[in-house]
Amino acid sequence: MPISPMDIYKLLPKTNCKKCGEMTCMSFAFKLLNKEKKLEDCKPLFEEKKYEKQKEKLIEILKPLEKAKETGLIVNEDLCNGCGNCVVACPVHVERDPHGAMIGKISSDDAILRIENGKVRVLNLEICRRYGKNRILCIVCRENCPTDAISFLEG
Amino acid sequence: MICTGCSCLCDDVEIRDGKILNACYRGYKVYSKLSENRARALVDRREVSVDDAIEKAVEILGQAKNPALYGFDTTTVEAQEVAVKIAEKLNAFIDDNSSFCLGEVVEAILKKDVPSTTLEDVRDQAYVIFYWGANPYSSAPRHMSKFTYYPRGMKRLKGYEDRFLVVVDVRRSETAKLAKKNAIFIKVESDDELVESFNLALEGKAGKYAKEVGTVITELKRSDFNAMFVGLGLKYGVRNLDGFFEMIRKINRVAKLYLIPSAFHSNMRGFNEVLFEKTGSINKFSFKEQRSDKLFAFTELLKRDEIDAVLLLGTDPLSSIPFEISKKIMRIKTVVVDPKMSLTAKIAKVVVPSAFSGFESSGTMVRSDGVRKRLEPIEEKEVNDLWILKKISEGL
Ligand code: SF4
Ligand code: SF4
Ligand code: SF4
Ligand code: SF4
Repeated sequence: MPISPMDIYKLLPKTNCKKCGEMTCMSFAFKLLNKEKKLEDCKPLFEEKKYEKQKEKLIEILKPLEKAKETGLIVNEDLCNGCGNCVVACPVHVERDPHGAMIGKISSDDAILRIENGKVRVLNLEICRRYGKNRILCIVCRENCPTDAISFLEG
Repeated sequence: MICTGCSCLCDDVEIRDGKILNACYRGYKVYSKLSENRARALVDRREVSVDDAIEKAVEILGQAKNPALYGFDTTTVEAQEVAVKIAEKLNAFIDDNSSFCLGEVVEAILKKDVPSTTLEDVRDQAYVIFYWGANPYSSAPRHMSKFTYYPRGMKRLKGYEDRFLVVVDVRRSETAKLAKKNAIFIKVESDDELVESFNLALEGKAGKYAKEVGTVITELKRSDFNAMFVGLGLKYGVRNLDGFFEMIRKINRVAKLYLIPSAFHSNMRGFNEVLFEKTGSINKFSFKEQRSDKLFAFTELLKRDEIDAVLLLGTDPLSSIPFEISKKIMRIKTVVVDPKMSLTAKIAKVVVPSAFSGFESSGTMVRSDGVRKRLEPIEEKEVNDLWILKKISEGL
């Protein structure tokens, strides 16, 4: 399930106290999703007891965010059967390894995704098109996964 | 290594640092469970030596009045050839799973009733990729990524973006979900109605699925190379496959469409080809009567109590055939050759433990499209299907 800024906002103190350096809790929620802020930056959430429950919940729903690293790409291994569609369709793979991914095989160590022990594994997210400053919102791998085993945080 | 998890026989599987690379989960499972539940040499459930088990097997088969041989879809062509030889020697029945799998499709291709091609050519050239009653996501997981829709090919430089996907099924399968851009999913209630719609459209008339069929035919005409993959959904969805093949021939008068069966056991096609070469039939054959017949299918033989002994190799009827029928196996003398202690092995008169073809023994297998692949096993076990069958054959 992709997380929306609204989901995060609802659990913040909603006081717009600006202690996090943001003008509003909502903008803090956006930055949190983009990994430009850390949850700990919201001081009241950690200092005031009355937010304890909300804090726990926030930590819980933000967990996948950590897994997703910079690209927002999350793989649910339970849903994956290693069909390899995502691996072969990924435009970066095709560019980098024309003789592998091009023809439906890929075992190169510098791929983004590879099938290991029957499941897709993330190897090098930093070459994914969604990574870094000039990122583009590529969705090719997700689009071609028949079981929605791949998702992105931004939805 | 070549994966023998299904009839794709993927040839790019690697083992590196204790990890299996490239194989799908289906293939990985076979490999990772290799050492579990292995068969032991048994006679009357007592442990014996392999030689003694084989000797007993020879005795049972040699003395039987009406023996049958069944299975062989996961073993090598070389072993299948010996199996057919044994059947001939014994004047026995011989059959495999193809009689309730895609046997008819393989037969139509071997008899050249319909045009077929190789998966390499599909990858290089095919424009329309057509799955009818097939869901490769479960039966042959890498079919689309390795051979058909996704890879780039000589004339399909942009891979799936240069192709058109057609999926026909009674439900929205995983494969159907991939029919997005440049694609069409036709959800049918009856496969026969769709066949009829194609036939009518080709005569310029409109059937129930006129609109969908119109789209497909237009796309087919855009290329001189299109491929259709059929699965069990088609076999059990149409009243008769001959009508379907007739439709394929009719379509071929206006656009080139090759037919390839989608998926089955690793070397089912090998069995069909070996028997076809020898007898002109692909399965359910009686060497006594020198012909093939519906009545000679293994399940029919069981139902009608026609046989008194059977040699089973690489098949587990007790878990794959309805119990009503398969329980009759308990009443006949059963010889099981298998790497695993299958359910059937547990009740068999004789069990001969064997090796997993592909992982533990070499040989040749035939891919779903008829291309022959040399296996590249990780180790070579001496006691394998071929060795066992040769011993039995010599003993008879
Ligand atoms: S510190 Fe917390 S409560 Fe204050 S504005 Fe930022 S998010 Fe809202
Ligand atoms: S998002 Fe695009 S570039 Fe990144 S792994 Fe998926 S297909 Fe490749
Ligand atoms: S497309 Fe989906 S199911 Fe197939 S390998 Fe990729 S994540 Fe797994
Ligand atoms: S598609 Fe079939 S042959 Fe290929 S890796 Fe998967 S199970 Fe093995």
